[in-house]
Amino acid sequence: MYNTRVRGVLIKGNKSYSDITHEVLRPMNDKTPMWWWVTAFLATGALFWGVWGFYNTITTGIGAWGLNNNVAWGWAIINFVWWIGIGHAGTAFSIFLLIVRQKWRTSINRAAEAMTIFAVMAAGLFPLIHMGRIWDGFFIFPYWNTRGPLWDNFNSPLFWDVVAISTYFMASFAFWYIGMIPDFATIRERTASKIKRKIYGVLSFGWIGNAKGWLRFETAAILLGGMAAPLVVSVHSIVSMDFSVSVIPGWHTTIFPPYFVVGAIFSGFGMVLTLMIILRKVYRFKDIVTDGHFDAVARILTFISLIMATAYLTELFMAWYSGNEYELFTFMQNRVTGDYTFAYWTMITCNAIIPQLFWFKKIRKNIPMVFIISIFINIGMWFERYVIVVTSLSKDFLPATWATYSPTITEIAIFVGTIGLFLLGVLMFFRFVPTIAISEVKSVLKETTTLKSFTDED
Amino acid sequence: MRTNILGIYDDEDVVLKAVDKLQDNGVKVADVMSPFPIHGIFEKLNLKTRMPLATFLYGTFGVIVVFAFLYWTSVVSYPLKFGGKPLNTLSFIIIIFVLTIFIGTLFTFLTYFIREKMYPGKEVTLPVPESTNDKFVIVVSKTEEMTDMDVKNINKLMKESGAVEIKESDVNYNS
Repeated sequence: MYNTRVRGVLIKGNKSYSDITHEVLRPMNDKTPMWWWVTAFLATGALFWGVWGFYNTITTGIGAWGLNNNVAWGWAIINFVWWIGIGHAGTAFSIFLLIVRQKWRTSINRAAEAMTIFAVMAAGLFPLIHMGRIWDGFFIFPYWNTRGPLWDNFNSPLFWDVVAISTYFMASFAFWYIGMIPDFATIRERTASKIKRKIYGVLSFGWIGNAKGWLRFETAAILLGGMAAPLVVSVHSIVSMDFSVSVIPGWHTTIFPPYFVVGAIFSGFGMVLTLMIILRKVYRFKDIVTDGHFDAVARILTFISLIMATAYLTELFMAWYSGNEYELFTFMQNRVTGDYTFAYWTMITCNAIIPQLFWFKKIRKNIPMVFIISIFINIGMWFERYVIVVTSLSKDFLPATWATYSPTITEIAIFVGTIGLFLLGVLMFFRFVPTIAISEVKSVLKETTTLKSFTDED
Repeated sequence: MRTNILGIYDDEDVVLKAVDKLQDNGVKVADVMSPFPIHGIFEKLNLKTRMPLATFLYGTFGVIVVFAFLYWTSVVSYPLKFGGKPLNTLSFIIIIFVLTIFIGTLFTFLTYFIREKMYPGKEVTLPVPESTNDKFVIVVSKTEEMTDMDVKNINKLMKESGAVEIKESDVNYNS
């Protein structure tokens, strides 16, 4: 089987297999720390505020939002695309790196996949409430009905979205869960508590870890991964088609699918960095998640940031080159300059300029700095969606219908609520699930400890 | 009652050599239990899986079923023109592509559990619980034809190949 060159020591500290099990499971056996309760409290508060926004939207209707005839898509779509983008991290991370056999993924993939699950859950809420009449939501399914039967419009990107996102959620979950089974079995066999043994016994599905089991496990992982890899590309391509199949200036371009996919992976990796730095800090996983791991992610981000910059420049170039005055107006007078200058330049600064600092080794090695840059990426990617949605809609072909848009408190509440939901999910994951794939880390331990350090490679 | 002779090891490379040594001496290795997949063990134990073939068949089935459904709804059951496109349009590809992955993933996921006979809450007793942590166990089934001499020989081979512990167990772990 094809194997890549291992880039030195992935797990530091000369650990034995047992040390790894012990170290990863330690936080689960410790008393629940104070920061966990505080964050959980804040996240629950945010979630409750979101539930209020949700309730307000359902009872009042979409009128509770700041939308108008022109800007008919506001924060809901922005946040939906933002979350879906973040949700690309896990799969992009574990699956692409699994396929190219990058062994350093093993310390990070579990957390990245967990993030995917919660981000997609948060994203899924937005189309649901955007329907207005949520109780008619089942209309989206092509079921046998008394209206003809009249079927869905199978050529609509909005229908593709439903199909793509539910498939993506299911596939990510299947991949994530299968990967966790051996670790659940490890907890089952180690724990002294009867209740824990029972719970993890149920979760581990009776895993025994014999040779045939491992063979099927590895085959299933590569099969599910192989099938999910094209999904990473297709999901966000389909999301981009929500925009690009329309004839709105600024949306109707062929660059949209690749531009969205790259953007999604960019924001996903940014969020992976943010969360992994926190996880490593609070659980003291310094030996398993080394500076070298962050260095590798930072290098990938530098490269993706360049692709993003190229995409932004291509958009500007095409607006001019196409000779279409509406395109040119949208880009030059409503994005680069004009009412939305701040949003546009925040996007450029956060996505295309700030990550270029990662060219410097000093900055890649400075973890607080890496953390700050990863936050900038998250913000920049949010502004990218804001620029795309709002600028194009606010000033279209007829100046008489131009409108501005600002969110209402309900929309803000819903967004904050989804952040709460995501955080709660991540906190549960931190507390009750092995945050690092124990069996996978063990499988790369031996061949990588005798080599020189991962961090000192260059 | 079936009894197994268990050789317990604490290193993956030692296990690989031990399996070779046992097999060279005509001992049939029934199973190897480990905390993570050991590369090279599947070939040695001559294990194969037909899961890729199953997934391929699910995918083929998915393409056919999804296309048949789209064609039937859009062309046969309720032919309705959208945007001047033909009834049977090329853009069906998108739904066929995604739903094929859906069907392939879901069925592969279920096949894995069915073939492994795994389900939530299945009770298992491991002969060596540490095999989910840091121990590797070579399992040799003790058959009725085995003489005491054979058993002793197996014990000796295991010991020579670096087993840290050898024991017999009647735990039927793989039911």
